[in-house]
Amino acid sequence: MQDRQERLDHKARRIRWNLFPYLAVLPAAALIIILMVAPIGETIYRSFTNWDGLTSNFIGLTNFRLIFSNPVTTQVLLNSVIFLISVPLILIASVLVAVLVYERVLGWRVFRFLFFIPAVLSPVIVGALFSTFFLPAGLVDKALSPIGLSNYPWLSHPWTARVVVILALVWTSFGFGMVVVLSALSTIDPALYDAAAIDGASWWRRLRSITMPMISGSLQFLSVINVIYTFTSLFSFVYVITAGGPGFATTTVDYFTYLTTFENGQFGYGAALAVLLFVIVLLLTIVQLRLFPKREVQGS
Amino acid sequence: MTAAQHRPLAERERQEATVTAVPARASRRLTGMRARRLVVFIGLCLVGITTVYPLIFMALNSMRTAQAYEVSPYGLPTHYNLNNFRALFAQVPFLASVLHSIIVVVPAVILATLFSALAAYVFTKVPIKLGNALFWLMLMIMFMPGIVVLIPLYVEIGHLGLASNFAPAILIYTAISIPYGTYLLRSIFRAIPDAVVEAARVDGAHWLKIFFRVMLPMGRAGVMTVGILTFLNVWNELFISVVLLHTSSTEMMTPTLAQLSGRYSNNIPVIMTGLLLGSIPTLLVYFVTARVFIRGMLSGAIR
Repeated sequence: MQDRQERLDHKARRIRWNLFPYLAVLPAAALIIILMVAPIGETIYRSFTNWDGLTSNFIGLTNFRLIFSNPVTTQVLLNSVIFLISVPLILIASVLVAVLVYERVLGWRVFRFLFFIPAVLSPVIVGALFSTFFLPAGLVDKALSPIGLSNYPWLSHPWTARVVVILALVWTSFGFGMVVVLSALSTIDPALYDAAAIDGASWWRRLRSITMPMISGSLQFLSVINVIYTFTSLFSFVYVITAGGPGFATTTVDYFTYLTTFENGQFGYGAALAVLLFVIVLLLTIVQLRLFPKREVQGS
Repeated sequence: MTAAQHRPLAERERQEATVTAVPARASRRLTGMRARRLVVFIGLCLVGITTVYPLIFMALNSMRTAQAYEVSPYGLPTHYNLNNFRALFAQVPFLASVLHSIIVVVPAVILATLFSALAAYVFTKVPIKLGNALFWLMLMIMFMPGIVVLIPLYVEIGHLGLASNFAPAILIYTAISIPYGTYLLRSIFRAIPDAVVEAARVDGAHWLKIFFRVMLPMGRAGVMTVGILTFLNVWNELFISVVLLHTSSTEMMTPTLAQLSGRYSNNIPVIMTGLLLGSIPTLLVYFVTARVFIRGMLSGAIR
């Protein structure tokens, strides 16, 4: 009798064990399927329509044809490509700062702590700070007054406005990059440096032949996420710093899609832009995953 | 340049100790090393100024009048006053917007971290059918542009009459945070030995008990790091909050801050006051949790 009870208990427990993983992933899976996968499907479908939020008619590839024939959209795509300049700058700044912190001079922990501060500030706050500093006769003009720029309207010229956005982007991003690089540096066996030093390798040679290959996996990761970020998340910076101006000089694809969809109510055309953005991001990610040499020995 | 480059602290200290013990032979090398470390220190100070000065700038100018700012925006204010704070609270629904942000962000962060941890637990410890497919789906949409999902969601929410309701925003923030959270927690939970889970299971522990008593405590630093990262991302986010909660009775903090610049373009001290108050929540979380958070990120919890 007791034996049977035990067997039943055991069986109930087995059923619970077989059922539980499905229950455990259910919330995550349900949210992702309902709020992400299904909407992606709808956006793709609507990109072939002239949807205005209420009615929609199938119009084939007309939206995409419009995108590529409109000089504004080509300018906007080009802008996002221009903003990619920030990616190598972020990588260089991250490696440089990480290598300096890794020297472990006086107060290095404090520096590591301070360098992450921009990363915890909202892009809205960073953007508003940068637009204040780059006002005519603002902080930057004051600092540059020795070279004769005492009243320069940075945000009114296309290229200088882009420079301001790129600087804001580098400033917010290098802290995260530093942490990623530091985490990779800490996995390098110091014996490698000793061996190289005995062989008479210079500092530069060691950086090139040991450090860089050992952190290349991290650099790939940083490059991928920053390229994606440049295409998909400049909205906040552009919204606050330039509102896309002057003209469309700093309007990025994501900001333009926002304007088209939510300000002009062209939901079908906006959906087509969003799909194009998604495809660009996917392609760039695949290209980068192929481009970088896979040499890193994964630390984790 | 010396061999000390990129070398762990203990070893370098040992080397320096040896160097001090034999001053005659190594004094030149020591001077060179000191000079180099001084250069590094100065470099770090310069970078540090760029990350700290904006905070000081916000704090000092929040206590200056617009007239005083015109005269001298730098240096210490001659008179301290709190009129900017009063203006911000009286003329802009700033405090209400902070409250709205809290209402949305806190549940979203808790739900996202919990659901990600549950999913990561299954992915690492209990292989299931379609588990891999679900994980790959998450990887695919991890960095998907938010606008792709927000266009239809915005319209649907309008149709359902939930345009000024916080619930859709909470769920959308939760959903959008789950892929990255699951990805990070998966690598954290993978480091917990299977034997520990198996032992608890043999002891007859219920799966929820194993999750709360074994997985979460053993991966505590990682789970906290993921929670903090999610909080920073969601609290600082602008796009979704601008699109979804655009009526003044539901507006979150970041859109309110974003509009300050336009509204007070002639009164920068008021803008700085808003930015200062807006940055306090994330700075506070960062300052308080920095030890665990930085260690968690360094141990590889971010990739």
